[in-house]
Amino acid sequence: MKQPLRIILVAGTLLMAGLFTAAQAAELVLWHAYRGAEKSAIEKVAKMYEAKMPGTKVATLAIPYDAYADKITASVPRGKGPDVFIYAQDRLGGWIESGKTVEPVGFFMDEATQKQFLPGMLDAMTYKGTVYGLPLNYKSITLIYNKALVKTPPRTSTELVKLAKSLTHADSGRYGLAYWYTNFYFHAALMNAYGGRVFDKDGKLVLNSKETVASIKQMMKWYKQDGIMPTEPSETLVSSMFNEGKVAMVFNGPWFIGEISPSVDFGLAVLPVIDEAGKKPMRPWLTIEGAYVSASSKQKEAAYDFAKFLASEEAGLVLALEGRQLHTNAAIYKDARVSNDVVLKAFHEQLSSAEPMPNRAEMTMVWSPATTAMNKVVKGNATPEAAIKEASKAVQDSINALRKGR
Amino acid sequence: MNITEHLQRSAALGMGIGMLLLLVLSSWMFRSEELDLGVQQRERSAVLQANALVLAVADTDAVATGARVRLMQQQNPQIESVVIIAGTQMLASTRAEDAAPRQLRREEKPLYDLSNLIRTARETNLGEEVVRKKTIQIDELPKGRLVVTLPYLSGGEYAGILQMQFLVAKAARESGSGYMSVLLLFAALLVGALLRLNAEKRFDPAKLLALAAFLLLALFYQQQGQERLERVMMQDNRAIAAQYLAAAEQYDRLGYLPLRRDVAAANLWDTDHYQRPRGIIAADGSVVAEGEAKQLAQRAGFMRPILWSIDLLAACVLLLFIYGYAARAYAAFRKHLDAYLYVAPAMIGMLVLVFFPFSYGITLAFTDTTLFNESLPFLDRLIGWGNFRTILGDFNIYQETADGFIWNYQNFYWTLMVTIIWTVTNVTVGVTVGFMLAMALNTEGLRGKAIYRVLLILPWAIPNYITALVWRGMFHPQFGVINQVLQMFGMEPVSWFDGVFSSFITGLATNGWLSFPFMMVVILGALQSIPKDMYEAAEVEGASRWQRLRYITLPLLKPTLIPAIVLSVVWTFNMFNIIFLVSGGEPAGANEILVTKAYKIAFEQYQYAYAAAYSTVIFMILLVYGFFQTRITKATESF
Repeated sequence: MKQPLRIILVAGTLLMAGLFTAAQAAELVLWHAYRGAEKSAIEKVAKMYEAKMPGTKVATLAIPYDAYADKITASVPRGKGPDVFIYAQDRLGGWIESGKTVEPVGFFMDEATQKQFLPGMLDAMTYKGTVYGLPLNYKSITLIYNKALVKTPPRTSTELVKLAKSLTHADSGRYGLAYWYTNFYFHAALMNAYGGRVFDKDGKLVLNSKETVASIKQMMKWYKQDGIMPTEPSETLVSSMFNEGKVAMVFNGPWFIGEISPSVDFGLAVLPVIDEAGKKPMRPWLTIEGAYVSASSKQKEAAYDFAKFLASEEAGLVLALEGRQLHTNAAIYKDARVSNDVVLKAFHEQLSSAEPMPNRAEMTMVWSPATTAMNKVVKGNATPEAAIKEASKAVQDSINALRKGR
Repeated sequence: MNITEHLQRSAALGMGIGMLLLLVLSSWMFRSEELDLGVQQRERSAVLQANALVLAVADTDAVATGARVRLMQQQNPQIESVVIIAGTQMLASTRAEDAAPRQLRREEKPLYDLSNLIRTARETNLGEEVVRKKTIQIDELPKGRLVVTLPYLSGGEYAGILQMQFLVAKAARESGSGYMSVLLLFAALLVGALLRLNAEKRFDPAKLLALAAFLLLALFYQQQGQERLERVMMQDNRAIAAQYLAAAEQYDRLGYLPLRRDVAAANLWDTDHYQRPRGIIAADGSVVAEGEAKQLAQRAGFMRPILWSIDLLAACVLLLFIYGYAARAYAAFRKHLDAYLYVAPAMIGMLVLVFFPFSYGITLAFTDTTLFNESLPFLDRLIGWGNFRTILGDFNIYQETADGFIWNYQNFYWTLMVTIIWTVTNVTVGVTVGFMLAMALNTEGLRGKAIYRVLLILPWAIPNYITALVWRGMFHPQFGVINQVLQMFGMEPVSWFDGVFSSFITGLATNGWLSFPFMMVVILGALQSIPKDMYEAAEVEGASRWQRLRYITLPLLKPTLIPAIVLSVVWTFNMFNIIFLVSGGEPAGANEILVTKAYKIAFEQYQYAYAAAYSTVIFMILLVYGFFQTRITKATESF
């Protein structure tokens, strides 16, 4: 009878000790929404960090993208959730305004870290002068063309129109250029070329400007006068036309690369310079994913250290080469494996004329009215001036409802 | 026990329980208000000191700043410590161990973050020209300590934060009168015991008398409580005025800040958490009558609706008793105790999963919660009926311009109209198509009936997301199959999502496609249950096909059809997927229905409370509809 009792006692003690040490060992929890190659790359990076920092455990959790933002909004302010999470900058403003979600990390960030990033990356993580995260990777649109149809990609809008006209046969459904031009995100590249903005630096809405109107007129010229683009564009339309060889050039982002059929030999180039806008280049918006330290993390310094590792050159090479991400660490683009990669190189070149999409919470209120305005103009139901004025008023009304005085 | 005795007991019980409920709720309300006033008073006196110190060091150099801060801390024992932070620097500190000035240490990150938070708040208020962010942050520490943090300005510009730790004594208060509650409860019981209720009459004088007496007692109690709160507030104002004067004289004596004996000047020391002068105490230390009256009126205006809701609730409880509902409910409960036990798990589930979110939504509708202020305490966000007034009171449905009428598609009534037209047309289409197909399938001797039936039910079996996206693709102006077919017949292609009507048709077609199988199945089932001999008898009597349909089929379908229609109306009214995925409310939100609109308000414009009020209005509409539908279905039960 004594033996089993002793075994139970020993086992119990061991179990207790085990539980105790488990509670002691720091385990960092990372949330992300990656799948496939991106997921295995981030998991590999987590393993690398564990090897580098003995005694630290990193648990990565992939969350379906549709549920991701809501899951963070619901869990982090209530003291639950991860230590570090990865998300694009578009939700950052909202999370900061509602509070208790994202920990400011500017205090931790040394100068070397600040300088390691590509230009503009840290701006996307900065909200009203405070740094809230470490930028990890960026996405923007660029010019993607069918090599069978286009020998040398156009550098200017004049060249673009000339080339596209020669490739357009509307009767047989062939067009020189296609992009989702009614979608405000895609249109922003033109708007930025003209110097149009959505918000000024104080957060005032300045959508209704002559620059924005001029950019819409430019788009309408391509669509109506030059007739080089198909009607009613959408993501699926653009990709199916490109794959069927019915469109020679598209403006699209890295997510599009995976959709291109293997039969199409494609090339990438920087978006053209707009001659009508005083030879200014098209400047697409950058969507930048950052690693944020959760405001309810119990080990914020360790969490920051891990986030810093994700943004480091070492991790950046893995994420870029294996995860096919455009990492924000400037050093990796000096590596031969990255600089010889056609896709990574092309998007990196586009970065020289691109700018971060606003990270203000008010930005969500812009999409729907702005896209409505674009549709109205394209369908000829309103002039660019009237449409933008109306959209701007609608957005301003929503913003006023949100920014109520106390 | 006969009914009179029963009622007699009910009257006393009702008065007692109603009054107890009222007393508990009102005194809890008064008590929490009083506690709140106490906290506010402590915070106010700390803010007063902090504001004063910030003003006193606004235009001094680093050495003088440190000296002034130290002297003030030594002279005022309630100030335990003061720290000034600028960027990553600790400029001054009254704690010797801090050894200011120096760099912030790693563990002092919260201070750095707080300084950024307050800077942002200040910039936001100035930049947006709307004051919505608190620039004074107050944290409560144990043992009556308060930590006040506010912007430290230098030469009128933001330079950092000043943080003060206070030990503020709790203000002495006159204690509440417990005996009055007991007295009122006794009086209520007495009234209940003395009254003779008449069970037969609906409006018997005794019942009215009970209600009147009850309300009178309630109002008396609440009036007393309100007056007490007012007295407390007035005392508090005077206490603050005295503190202000003492401090101002001290600063004046030291030559830090001149005391301006000017009644008209704003008092910049006594501010709210947004650093706006309260306007209650003048710069010379006197109490401004208008400011105080406004403060009292504001508090009373806040309390009144809450107290009235308590009155209403308690009166309802009383009425439940004196009309005997409570007694009946109790008897039923006793009799079917085991039945209640069986349903208890389900009830608990419903409570957690349905009633809690539901009541949370309704409560939210009475606030002005948005993304930007959701972290504020609940009572600060409470606004009453404002959202409902904005939704229902906005009659800006159309505008008259030179070009004619322009409909305002964002208006609630437009959306309501679209929703009603949407519901009616959809149900009509569903029922008509379903009925015709059911009649066809019900043909005797039809070959391959099973195959047809499966094929016709298929649209229902496919997830409606997929159907909606497929239909959306079919309506594409250039590549969609519908326009291709139109062009084949030499017609002009239609830009389906451009026009209000054509866009509506896209939704109608999709939902019609989705809804006819259900109707068909229901009608088919009902048709097969109609006895054949009825038709045979009618045929023998020489009834025509139409007469057979009109006088046999339709009346016998009615009991099945009406519940199906009623259900289908509710589904269609809230058919989110189809509108959201097919037309997306295009053009310009004209084809939005109420639910999709509520979704957009909540998740595109982040006006959570407004969206909650919108949903509550949708619920009320369906509730009214549900009320009438039960009457209609009751009418059909006689078949």
